[in-house]
Amino acid sequence: MKLTRSHWRRIRSRGWQVLITLMGLLLLTFFIGRVMPLDPVLAIVGPDADHATYQQVYHQLGFDKPLWVQFAIYLNGLLHGNLGMALLTGQPVINDILRVFPATVELATLAIVIGTGLGVPLGVWAAARRNGVVDYVVRIISLAGYSTPIFWVGMVGLLLFYAHLGWVGGAGRVDFSLDGLVPRRTGLLLVDALLAGNGSVFASALNHLILPASLLGFHSLAYISRMTRSFMLAQLTQEFILTARVKGLTEWQVIWQHAFRNILVQLLTVVALAYGSLLEGAVLIETVFSWPGFGSYLTGSLMLGDMNAVMGCVLVVGLIFVLLNLISDLLYQVFDPRTKV
Amino acid sequence: MNLLLRCTACCMALLLMAASPGLRAATPDDQLIVGMNMNNLLTLDPAAMTGNEVVGIVVNLYDGLVELDPRQLTHVRPALAERWEISPDNRQLTFHLRDNVTFHSGNPLSSEDVVWSMRRVLHLNLAQASVWKSYGFSKDNVDQMITAPDARTVVLRLPKANDPLLVLYSLAALGSMVVLDSKTVQAHASNGDWGNRWLTTHEAGSGPFRLDVWQAKDVLRMNRDPDYWRGAPKLSRVVFRHLQESQTLRLMMEKGDIDIASNMAIPDVKALRHDPDLTVDAVPKGTIYYLAMSMKDKHFASAKVREAVRYLVDYQGINKSLMAGYGELHQRPIQAGMPATLPDPGYKLDIPRAKALLAEAGYPNGFDTTLRVLADQPFLNIAIAIQSTLMQGGIRAKIVTGTGNQIYGAMRERQFNLLVGRGGSGVEPHPHSSLRSLVYNPNNADSARLTNFQGWRTGFYDAQLNQMIDQALLERDSVRQQQDYFAIQRRYDQLIPALMPISQMVDSVVVNNRVQDYIPHPSATTFLRDVWKTPDSLAGGTP
Repeated sequence: MKLTRSHWRRIRSRGWQVLITLMGLLLLTFFIGRVMPLDPVLAIVGPDADHATYQQVYHQLGFDKPLWVQFAIYLNGLLHGNLGMALLTGQPVINDILRVFPATVELATLAIVIGTGLGVPLGVWAAARRNGVVDYVVRIISLAGYSTPIFWVGMVGLLLFYAHLGWVGGAGRVDFSLDGLVPRRTGLLLVDALLAGNGSVFASALNHLILPASLLGFHSLAYISRMTRSFMLAQLTQEFILTARVKGLTEWQVIWQHAFRNILVQLLTVVALAYGSLLEGAVLIETVFSWPGFGSYLTGSLMLGDMNAVMGCVLVVGLIFVLLNLISDLLYQVFDPRTKV
Repeated sequence: MNLLLRCTACCMALLLMAASPGLRAATPDDQLIVGMNMNNLLTLDPAAMTGNEVVGIVVNLYDGLVELDPRQLTHVRPALAERWEISPDNRQLTFHLRDNVTFHSGNPLSSEDVVWSMRRVLHLNLAQASVWKSYGFSKDNVDQMITAPDARTVVLRLPKANDPLLVLYSLAALGSMVVLDSKTVQAHASNGDWGNRWLTTHEAGSGPFRLDVWQAKDVLRMNRDPDYWRGAPKLSRVVFRHLQESQTLRLMMEKGDIDIASNMAIPDVKALRHDPDLTVDAVPKGTIYYLAMSMKDKHFASAKVREAVRYLVDYQGINKSLMAGYGELHQRPIQAGMPATLPDPGYKLDIPRAKALLAEAGYPNGFDTTLRVLADQPFLNIAIAIQSTLMQGGIRAKIVTGTGNQIYGAMRERQFNLLVGRGGSGVEPHPHSSLRSLVYNPNNADSARLTNFQGWRTGFYDAQLNQMIDQALLERDSVRQQQDYFAIQRRYDQLIPALMPISQMVDSVVVNNRVQDYIPHPSATTFLRDVWKTPDSLAGGTP
């Protein structure tokens, strides 16, 4: 495939949109953060520190400057690729994000694989057996996955599969006694364990990953199967399907080779969006499973009023969505000639 | 297709293998796994740390000059200092360091390092400087007051008269004056920060363990230092894990995946109490749960109203039904268990008496007010209990909940009416430690901004009481000093203070029975160097 001039024009105009969106996002986050009744200075100096210490840290963090000046300083840093220092860790925000992100990527990727791998066939099957038993079962599963609080499901999952049955590992990415035994290369523990050739860490990491990823996968399965079903239903009522059936094709060929091919592009967007929201940090699951990922980091920073870290995270989340949108948009054009400008 | 099938089969086999319980092992014999909430752990710099959790870590990475015996708190044990002398005028402490101590870097430890570490606390002026500033040390005088006449001697001169025993206790209990490897830290200093940024996630100590890694709100691991001067610790590795959810902590404790759990929710601690493999240690702490009134509020400026409030709290009921695992009934400003602590005055809920007092104060129909409280337990339950008894006396208090910053922030600004809180450092086993934090208020002016004194925050001021506290601290005769502290407590009581103690804090730690010689320290300086575990094969019960 080759990108044409119209593709490039489209990318350029999208680029401006992206910049403006991110700018607005930052501005909003910054000012909301500053009016929030949180005092990061107090968190740093502790409740027993005296006034002189408080004032010193307040000044060091630049909180005595006008809001606009603080924002300008932040933007200036940003232009130089500096996201500032995080109060929570005392490290540059960019390092923190790079450190926590792989944990979330690992979790989200397995979750989306599970969610898509099961959700798409289920959705197709439900559409093919419209109003039959299969359809109802899939709709119930979808409803359950969508409406049960993930926090509660996580707790029950731990209770059942970890505490009661002992099938999977508990909280954390790996058994605590195996923590830190393989050197960090990619940050993806499964990959790092393979690279180090450490089987027990790999098994333990997989063992810890499987439950939270399945629960998250179940959550995105609900969304994906519902969307697949409705896309398929729209296709199956079309005339070319009737033609195909009249031609004597098998039901399998009709569904998978004719109808399903037509919804692939739409599905891409759905899966990309689902993946995006998983990457944004499955905050509650990360809390229940003490998963040291992006969601945990973001909530911790929010609780502390650590605005540098929060803004950094917002920027990353914004970028993820914008990029996923852009990619799915371009794929649309590549796969579906009708959307070409 | 064939390939796809084979891959799927492989994946399934792998999943099944991973999911089989056989792969899960109990914690290894030579590792200690501690689960706790690390939300308050922001830095490992001994001069900047806040909160108890980090003290427990720092004292295992660094050594101090002296230590407190966890079993007999008033007993000061030698650590880096083999012995020490107090000058006859009580203004000078001389410490003699032991030989042949090296830092983890290999650098030898000398008195220069000790002096540098102490100066650093005052020059940085972060969280841990507060107590030392209250002893009269400052950035400007510290270079003269703390000196090293030779490589093995450290002389600490007190800027103002104080009880040298209290200073010794502070050296032992706070963890702020531990000794840093000055050469290593200086090599990592930037922009005159005394290495503060680097020390946030690194250490430069001589303690029994070396820091392996610390990632905020995730994990902290330390490995044994085989060359530790007291002899290598028995454990090869200690892993502290951030587990925010108390219920997750409880499950992992039950399964034997962690050895020690701290700051768990009390309902979960209660549930674990019946597990034969686990022990719940109740660790007494110096801090006190209290009801504070602001004397900036015209209602509570009246002694009659404060006295009425004194009889509108069901102390016994609260302690009996709400405080199990959190605290024990206590009504004095000095922490319980000290020889200088008077028995409780025995206040009880007495509504008719409170109503009569309110009428005398000019509020026969009571009044409306607010009651600030952290949205955490047991604070919230205490506040709800107090709200209902206040209501019976006619005081209609609206509960305002919030985070630590919101609640204690308002108190630091002296902008509150009533507040349920916890305070009073009490880490040093000395009556002054509690009084300094809860009662002492040398200047009640708004502009003084003595936010570290809870006496100032409530606006409670009595010149005579301040003077009595100053004097008791300097009294050299221990019997007379004790009498002085009795007199202070009696006067505090007569004045009807703005801060009413309700309960003495207790901390619950759940420990697996395999863990031996783990003695949780009341001042949070729990030493892990002697801890060991019985081999897994000998442990009964848990698989």
